Amino acid sequence: MVGLFADGEPERGVLPFLKENGLVLLPCVLGFAAIYLLLPQARRLKPAWGGGLAALALVLGAATLVRAGMSSVETMLFLAFAGIAIGAGVMMITQSNPVHAALSFALVVLSTCGLFLLQAAPFLMAATIIVYAGAIVVTFLFVIMLAQQEGVSNADQRSREPFLASLAGFVLLASLLCILQRSYLVPDENKDALDRITADLDKLTKAQTDADVIAVLGDPQKPVEFGKRTPALVKDLIALFSEASIRTESNKLAAAWNTMKRDDVKKTSAILLNAVQISRHSHGALRLDNVPGKENYKTPGHFAPGKLPAGNVAAIGKTLFTDYLIPVELAATLLLVATIGAIVIAGRRSEELR
Amino acid sequence: MSPATLESYLVVGAVLFALGMVGFLTRRNMIIMFLSAEMMLQGVAVNLVAFARFRGDLGGQVLVLFILTVAACEAALALAFILMLYKRRKSLDISVWQELREPDQDPVQDEEPLPDAPKPEDFQHLTPAGVQPPGKEETQEGSHA
Repeated sequence: MVGLFADGEPERGVLPFLKENGLVLLPCVLGFAAIYLLLPQARRLKPAWGGGLAALALVLGAATLVRAGMSSVETMLFLAFAGIAIGAGVMMITQSNPVHAALSFALVVLSTCGLFLLQAAPFLMAATIIVYAGAIVVTFLFVIMLAQQEGVSNADQRSREPFLASLAGFVLLASLLCILQRSYLVPDENKDALDRITADLDKLTKAQTDADVIAVLGDPQKPVEFGKRTPALVKDLIALFSEASIRTESNKLAAAWNTMKRDDVKKTSAILLNAVQISRHSHGALRLDNVPGKENYKTPGHFAPGKLPAGNVAAIGKTLFTDYLIPVELAATLLLVATIGAIVIAGRRSEELR
Repeated sequence: MSPATLESYLVVGAVLFALGMVGFLTRRNMIIMFLSAEMMLQGVAVNLVAFARFRGDLGGQVLVLFILTVAACEAALALAFILMLYKRRKSLDISVWQELREPDQDPVQDEEPLPDAPKPEDFQHLTPAGVQPPGKEETQEGSHA
C-alpha cells in the first residue's frame, strides 16, 4: 500500500489530524470514558456519571452524523432505532445482572430489526426477530435460570482489565470512524453546487408557465454568442456526474429547453432529479479522486445503483435458490451438524466426565 | 428532505461491533461474553443490509441470512459448552478456568473485596425433635439424577 495518501491529501502531523477528525474523536473519547466508568468493578463511581457521559457522547455523535436539511421521517426513525440499539448495547455490556443483560440484547436485536425494515429488508426483519429474539434470547434466559447463582458473584461484579479492553475497543471504533469520514465526506466545494442543482431541478419539475422555466434556465430566444447555447444547469450536471443516464437526460433537457417544450422539460427534470438523488445517497460522494491508480477503480458512476425489487421475499428466494444454491445446502448441513454436536455435548452426564 | 445516508448506517454498525468487542474482552460471565459476540454479528449485519440497499443488490441480504444461520449454530454450541462447563465447576465465571492460560502468565487474583456482598441471613433454628427414622440413607442412595 505504498503511497496510499499520495498527492492531494492534506499534510500529515498530529494537529492537522486532530483538526480534520476532531468531531469524530470527541464522541469516541467520551464514550470510552463512559464505558470505563460503567463497567462493573469492585470499586466504582456512581453509575449516573457514566450514564451522563454516555448520553452526551450519543448526542454529540448524532449531531455529527446529521447534516443540515435532514429532517425527513426516515431520518427521525433512523435516529430513534440507532439510538435505542446503541443505548441498549451499552446497557448490555455494563449490566451486572445477566438477566437484564439478555433482555437488553433482545432490545438491541429488535431495534436492529427496525433498521432492517428502514432499509427495505422486511423478510430479514421477520427472520431476525424469530431467530434471535424468539429463539436465541429465550434459550439464553433459560440457561441463565438453570445456572442461577445466588447472591453477588465474581463473574458479574468484576471485569477483566476494563481500562485496556475499553481502550482497545474504542481505538478500533475511532479508526473505523475516521476512515468512514475520510471516504464518505461530501467535498465542500461540490456540496453547494449539488444543493443548487437539486433545488433548480425541483423548481423545473414544478414549473407552471414558460416564465418559470426561463427563470431557472434562461431565455432560449435571447441572442447569445455562438456555442454558448447550453444552460448553466446542464453544464454543471455534466461536469459533476459521471453516470451515462444523467448525461443523456441532461442533453435531452437542453434540447427541450431550446425548443421551449415545457412538458418535456418537466418530464426530463423529474427523471434527472430522481437520478441525482439516488446517485448522491448511494455513494455519498465517495471520494475516489484522491486514490492513486484510480484508473483501476470503478468510478461511482459505474456502480449504477439499481433499485431493490419490490417483492422482497420472492426476490430473496429466487436469489437464494439460483445464485446461492450450494451455500444454502452447506448452511443446512451446518445446522444439522451443530444440532448433533449440541446434543452430544450438553447431553453427557457430568459424572462420566470426572 | 434527504434520507439517512449510507455512512450513517455504517457508523451504527461500527459502534455495535466495537461495543460487542469491549463486552467480549471485559466481562467474565460466559453467557454475557457470548451475547457480546452475537452483538458483533449484529453490527456486521447492519453494514451488509445497508450496502444491499444503497447498491441495489440483494447479495447483502442473502449474506445476512447466512449470518443468521451461523449465529444459530454458534448459539446452540455455545450454550451446550456453557452448560458443560457449569456442571463441572458450578460457576459461570470464566476465570475459574484460568489454569488453561499460558505457562509463563501470572494468575489473575481478585484483590479488592466486593463492596456490597450481602451476609447470608442467619435464621433461628429450632432444636431438632424426634429421631431420624432408620434406613433413610439406603433409600436416598439410588435416587440421584
